Amino acid sequence: MGSVELAVVGAGPAGLSAAITAARSGLRTALLDEYPRPGGQYLKGASEPDAAPPISAAERQGRTLLRQLAETDLELRTQTLVWGIERASEGWRLALHGPRGLDWLEARAVVVAAGARELVVPFPGWTLPGVMTLGAAQILAKAHGVLPGRRVLLAGSGPLLLAAAAELTRRGARVTAVLEAVPLSRWLRHAPAIWGNWDRLGEGRHYLAELWRSGTPYRPGWTVAEALGGDELEAVIVARLDRRGHPIPSSREQVPADSLCMGFGFIPNVELTQLAGCAHVFDPARGGWVPGVDERLETSLPGLFVAGEAAGVAGAAAAMLEGHIAGMAAAYRLGRLPEGQLARELAARAGRRRRLGRFAAMLNTLFAPAPGLDALITDDTPICRCEEVSAGEVRAAIRGGATELDALKTWMRVGQGACQGRTFGPLLARLVAVETGRPVGQAGCFGVRPPLKPIPLGDLAQEGAS
Amino acid sequence: MTSEADAVVIGGGIVGAACAYYLCAAGLSVHLVERSFPASGTSRACDGLILTWDKAPGAELALGQASAALWAGLAETLDFDFEYARAGTILLAENEPALAAGRARAEAMQAAGVRAQALDSAGLRSLEPNLAADLAGGAFFPDDAQVDARRATLALLAAAQQRGLTLHPQAEVSAIRRANGGEGRVSGVVTTAGEISTETVVCAAGVWSNEVARLAGLELPIRPRKGHILVTARLPGLIHHPMLEGGYVTTVQSAAEDLQVALVAEMTAGGTLLLGSSRQFAGFDRSVSLAVLQAIAARAARFLPALARVGVMRSYAGLRPWSPDHLPLIGPVVAVPGLYLAAGHEGAGIGLAPVTGQLIAGWVAGGDLPPVADEVRPDRFELASTTLRRF
Repeated sequence: MGSVELAVVGAGPAGLSAAITAARSGLRTALLDEYPRPGGQYLKGASEPDAAPPISAAERQGRTLLRQLAETDLELRTQTLVWGIERASEGWRLALHGPRGLDWLEARAVVVAAGARELVVPFPGWTLPGVMTLGAAQILAKAHGVLPGRRVLLAGSGPLLLAAAAELTRRGARVTAVLEAVPLSRWLRHAPAIWGNWDRLGEGRHYLAELWRSGTPYRPGWTVAEALGGDELEAVIVARLDRRGHPIPSSREQVPADSLCMGFGFIPNVELTQLAGCAHVFDPARGGWVPGVDERLETSLPGLFVAGEAAGVAGAAAAMLEGHIAGMAAAYRLGRLPEGQLARELAARAGRRRRLGRFAAMLNTLFAPAPGLDALITDDTPICRCEEVSAGEVRAAIRGGATELDALKTWMRVGQGACQGRTFGPLLARLVAVETGRPVGQAGCFGVRPPLKPIPLGDLAQEGAS
Repeated sequence: MTSEADAVVIGGGIVGAACAYYLCAAGLSVHLVERSFPASGTSRACDGLILTWDKAPGAELALGQASAALWAGLAETLDFDFEYARAGTILLAENEPALAAGRARAEAMQAAGVRAQALDSAGLRSLEPNLAADLAGGAFFPDDAQVDARRATLALLAAAQQRGLTLHPQAEVSAIRRANGGEGRVSGVVTTAGEISTETVVCAAGVWSNEVARLAGLELPIRPRKGHILVTARLPGLIHHPMLEGGYVTTVQSAAEDLQVALVAEMTAGGTLLLGSSRQFAGFDRSVSLAVLQAIAARAARFLPALARVGVMRSYAGLRPWSPDHLPLIGPVVAVPGLYLAAGHEGAGIGLAPVTGQLIAGWVAGGDLPPVADEVRPDRFELASTTLRRF
């Protein structure tokens, strides 16, 4: 079993920033990531020779971190899954699984920078081959040079929609339209929070300009109502949404498509902090369930910190800022940074943090799927693909008294398959809220137990490398 | 809000559901109070085996045999499919000493009227080709069965609701009222969902029964005995019968404080494999211990080598309501007229739920009680607490 002073889980923008900051302050630091290369989804492919030039200050800063990582004295462990966490006599014990099988790592403090995942809002036909998430399409394109299809339709809401459209177009895909569920009118209400975030706005303007140059239609206030096809996607029915987000039946039109990429924003990956047992709160402005943290990004459990999207969806710039703060706070917690210096560092960054936080809250509120979108989820729409449970069965169980996620899981096996409910947990909570008339947060979230992702039984039985 | 009922059952796990079902079937008006949702406690953190050969001949085995017969009937009569399957179970013997012990158990079971068939190494492998080649042998018990414990709980509740059960989920009992200034018969229960007037209260709160009993000034000898199960990816056909290593019986019957692990493997109707088992006294902590998962995985890989490459999807831990003499506490409490206990089944709650419900209905509604009823009465223990609370 290895031992370090600080373990950082996740090598995306937040984790890179936290690990580099902590290592530079003298902490013996390990940086762990499931993927073969550091950078996370945001910086995937950024160090490739054919990577496009960065278009924002955040992207430049991220690439700088990747370069700094090579010069920093820390232990980088890629292809390493953190599948469990327990209290140790001094700090934490992480259960790892990597190319050499099972392993353990003890750390006096842990920064969880586990990122976020895409939020999916189903519709009839969403499980047809040819339908995928925006992130999956981006990975195919960036990491494997594969385009999702010849005629690609993008639907959903939020900044990734534009970024993915620009990326796919740049690589030669024919993007037939970009459907943004949020109408332009909703933007105006949020103008005050937008003020001052020129870098983020510049990114959006840049992507929009790319779309205009390629002649791709951008249709705010529209979404996908149904995916059609036999064995695979052949066409998509699109519809305009009314002010409350309900699809307007008379607006339905059919467009041919062999690929449909969708995404309705992000939700924080909180499984590891849930497993650790710290307190969580439901905060839609931060993307849903998030760990409760203090100003130093320390959770309710001493020595357990969170940074980046796992602490609340706020984008790469905020993630790197938070990573830096968590790295310093961990150094302070382990006696490597005087309290006065931490206070000065926090004070110097307070204004920028507030501004980024306001902007993120605005985006999360603005692009949150409108309640009306749930009208697309007809009773025969599959919800849990692994266990083959339909929306109608879920709704019946909710009406029968299963008004929290763990009850649904117990009663009908939703969330017991490969994804363990990660894909559709938030969606179930929305269905519960609609059926019960109570706030989404009251539906709770799935209980989390190890292993966080499947690991081979034979490896689990190993003692682990010493 | 006050309602009235012939009987109130406290606890919506499998035992409470069975009590409610048999009380309703006896024609009583019944309310069931559950502080979370049905099957939210031990009944969703267990396997679904209906075993006889782990029971000691005598009262324990008599309960097991009676209940196994009731389950077979319920599988025929209840509308809700709870994945009942009577494929028999296999006792696995890793080596010669284990085989000798297994043989002795099989013979003792046969003497007590349980069908059993001795297996040598080849016989074992012909039943289950994926078992390790070097196992010494075992025994086959063809009458054992399995259910999906959660679905079985819901099935009993649904059937009880068809017979008039009123279910109060998310409601917690805060007081048990008694007549004559707190000295007489039970007169009602106070819950967070209102008060229910009743002269009969059945405590079926499993490992949490002491919280209920204390409301009536009792102290039960039930302690939580923690168990872990891990769940694999789907492997339809990997095994055809639930299987348990022979040493399992030793872990069940012992009262050792420290961790004990013995393999129990059961395939669900969905094709996932449930792998247990562990026993330890660890308070009311329901968190999963990584070391225990490892120990179970090691036992599973020992007996089923093909599992080594199979993904472990998830795990869970639950609390068995352990009782000192390894018999449940079923029946009236003399010190508190109108209060009945149906608790303390340790790891046999799923198997023994129907017979428990039937005994409770017999005590409450009147009727013939089998001889075993006297052997499981709660009053065999000293239950009165020195700090009696009155309401």
